[in-house]
Amino acid sequence: MPKSTSRGGVDRRSLVKSGLILAAAQVASPFVIRARAADAVRIGLDNPLTGTYAGPGKNELVGCQMALDAINAKGGILGRPVELVVEDSTSGDAGAAVQKARKLIESDKVDFLLGNVNSSLALAMAQVSNEKGVLHIVPGGHTDAITGSSCHWNVFRVCNTTQMEANAIAGSLIKDYGKKFYYITPDYSFGHTLEAGLVKAAGALGGEKVGGDLVPLGSVDFSSYLIKAQGMNPDVIIFLVQGDDMLNALKQAVQFGLQNKVHLAGAQQELEPLEGLPPEARVGTWVMEWYWNQPGVPHVAEFVEATKKRTGRVPTARTWFGYLSTWTCAHAAESAKSLKATDMARALQGFHLPPEIALGPNPVFYRAGQNQLIASLFVGDAQAKGSAPDDLFKVTKVVNGADVAGTVEQSGCKMTWPA
Amino acid sequence: MTQVVLFNIFNGLIVGAFYALMALGLSLILNLSGVINFAHGGFLALGAYLAYTLIPYVGFWGALIAAPLLTAALGLVIERVLIRPLYGGDPLYGLLLTFGLAYIFEDMTRFVWGAQSVPFQVPASLTTSLSSQFFFLTGYRVFMIAIVVAAVGGLFAILNHTRLGMRIRAGTRDLDTVSTLGVNIRVLRSLNFGIGIYMAGLAGVLAAGLLGLSPTIGASLIMPSFVAIIVGGLGSLLGTLLGGLLIGVASGVTAVYFPSATEAVMYVMMGLVLLVRPRGLLGEEGRLH
Repeated sequence: MPKSTSRGGVDRRSLVKSGLILAAAQVASPFVIRARAADAVRIGLDNPLTGTYAGPGKNELVGCQMALDAINAKGGILGRPVELVVEDSTSGDAGAAVQKARKLIESDKVDFLLGNVNSSLALAMAQVSNEKGVLHIVPGGHTDAITGSSCHWNVFRVCNTTQMEANAIAGSLIKDYGKKFYYITPDYSFGHTLEAGLVKAAGALGGEKVGGDLVPLGSVDFSSYLIKAQGMNPDVIIFLVQGDDMLNALKQAVQFGLQNKVHLAGAQQELEPLEGLPPEARVGTWVMEWYWNQPGVPHVAEFVEATKKRTGRVPTARTWFGYLSTWTCAHAAESAKSLKATDMARALQGFHLPPEIALGPNPVFYRAGQNQLIASLFVGDAQAKGSAPDDLFKVTKVVNGADVAGTVEQSGCKMTWPA
Repeated sequence: MTQVVLFNIFNGLIVGAFYALMALGLSLILNLSGVINFAHGGFLALGAYLAYTLIPYVGFWGALIAAPLLTAALGLVIERVLIRPLYGGDPLYGLLLTFGLAYIFEDMTRFVWGAQSVPFQVPASLTTSLSSQFFFLTGYRVFMIAIVVAAVGGLFAILNHTRLGMRIRAGTRDLDTVSTLGVNIRVLRSLNFGIGIYMAGLAGVLAAGLLGLSPTIGASLIMPSFVAIIVGGLGSLLGTLLGGLLIGVASGVTAVYFPSATEAVMYVMMGLVLLVRPRGLLGEEGRLH
C-alpha cells in the first residue's frame, strides 16, 4: 500500500515510541513554588500531588497549610516567618521524589523536609535527608523500615508502622470472623511489610494464611484476584491495597456479593477511599489511624471546624498527619532554640505533643531511640451512613499505640548519631 | 483450580471487551487521521465525571446517553481548534499535543471535581450477581458487555453500510485519493474524531460504574488500549477487538499463577507480537514499515 503523505504516516514504530515517551514522562511533573521571603524558615514538602496518591497527598498538604497559618499567626519559628515550599513527588517514582528532595535541600535551602505518602519514596528521600543532615518528618509512609532497620537520627515518622496496625486488628478479626485469611497485597515495600506484620500477628493467635496475591500498584481490575480468593474459601479476605486501588478492589468485591460470603477486612483504612465508594460498598473491618468523630476529646471539634471552613469537608487522618508534621518542625526548633538538625532531633527524643496538636485520647509522643510517633489506633467498621454525612466509620475499639508498638529493640532500629 | 482458571478466562473476556471498547475509539482516530491520541484517557475521565455530575438531574440512564455526547462535542471543538492544524505534519506533533492535553485534562478534572475519588452510583438493579456459582457475572457486567457489543456492532454497521463509513474506510487506506474524488476530508476527519471520542466517553461512564472514579481513571486505562491496538494490528478494528480480548484473558490467567505479573504480561505479549508478527495479529501488511 502506498504511504499517504497527508496522513503523516503513523506506523507501529511511532506507536511503540510514543508508549516509551509516555513511560518516561512519569518522571516529569509539575511543581509549585511559593514566593519567598529572605529571612523565612523554610519547610519543604515533597509529596504526591498527581497519580494514585494525589488524594491523600493533597489532604496532607491541607494539614500542613493549616499548621503553617497557625504557626505564623503565633509569630513563626524562632521569631521568623515560615514558608512552605511544595513539590510533586509523583505517586510512585522514587527517582523523581529524590530529585525533588535534593532540589528542596540544595537550591531552596529548606530547614525541614516533609514526605512521603508512598513508603518506598519516603525511604529513598530519607537517604538524601540523612546524607544532607536535614530534619525529615515522614507524615504518612507506613513501612516498618523507616523507623526500623533503616532508621536515621534525622528521620521522624508520624503515621504508624505497619506492624502496629497489624497488631491492633489481628485479635479482633480472629475472635469475630475466623482464622483463615486470604491476602490481597500491593506489590511494594508497604504491602510486603504490612502483610508480613499481619501474618506474624495473626500467626501468634493461631491465624493461618490460606493464600494471597501480590498485585501491582495502580491495578484497575481486581476481579481475577477476587475469583481466586473466593476459590480458597477463606474466613476473611484481607485488603491491604490503598488509595484508588482500595476503591477498585472493594467496589468490585461488593459487586460480586463477596461481603455476604466471607468477611472483608484490612489492616489500614482511610476516609478518602470510603468517601469515594458508593454507600453499599462501605463495608468491612479496618484500622483508622485518626478519626474526626471523637466525642469528648479536647480540641478535635475545633480542628474539624477549621478544616471544614477551609475545604468544606471533615479532616482525614492525612490532614492530621500533615498538621502534626508541620507543628513538629515548630516544636523541634523552639525546644532546641536552634535550627541545627542534630539539636532539633535530640530535642524531639521522647517529646510529647500538646493536646491541641495530639488530638487523640492517649498521649502522643515521639519514642526515643526510634523516632516513631506513638498515638492511638481506631479499630472499627466502615458504615454506609452514620451520625453525619462524613461519618463513614464506626469506631468499636481505641487501641493505645504504646500497647502495640513492641519495643525499640524489636523494631530493629539501631540509631547512630553524627559525631 | 481448573474452575478458577476457567472462571478467570471467562472473566478476562469481560475485562478485555472493556479494553476493546476504549481501544476502538483510539484505533478509529489513529487509522484515519494518523493522530496518536494520548488524550483519549482524558476524554474517558471527562465522560465519567460528566455522567457523575448529570446523574442527580437525569439519572444514570440519562447520563449514559448525554455524557458521551457532550464529551464528543468537546472532542469536536478540540479537533477543530487544536488538532486540525497539525494534520499532514509530523505525527510527533499530534502526539506531543495530545500528550500535553492528557495532563491538562487530568489536572482540570482534579481542579473541578477534586483530587479525591467521588462515589459513582449505578442503579441497584444492576449491582447484584446473577448467579451464586458465577458470582463474577453481575448485572452491570452483562449490561456492559451488551453495550460493548452494541457499540462495536453499531460501529461496524456504520463503517460497512453507510456512505460515511465507506469514506472513512477509503480514507483509512488512501486519504489523498478520497480527497481528490471530491470528499470533504475535513468534515470526514471531524466526524471520525467525534465518533472516536464518543466511544471514549461511553467507556468512561461504564468504567466509573465498575471502578473508583478519580482523576487518574483515564491514565490507568489508556496503556491497555494501546497494547490492544498493537497486539491486534494497526489498521484493523477487528484486530483491536481481538487484541483487547486477548490481553484481558492473558491478565486473568496470569493472576492465577503469577499475580504480580498481571500488568507485565500485557507488555510481554506486545513484545512477542512485535517480534514474531510485527504488523499485529490482524494488521494489514504494508501499513507497518
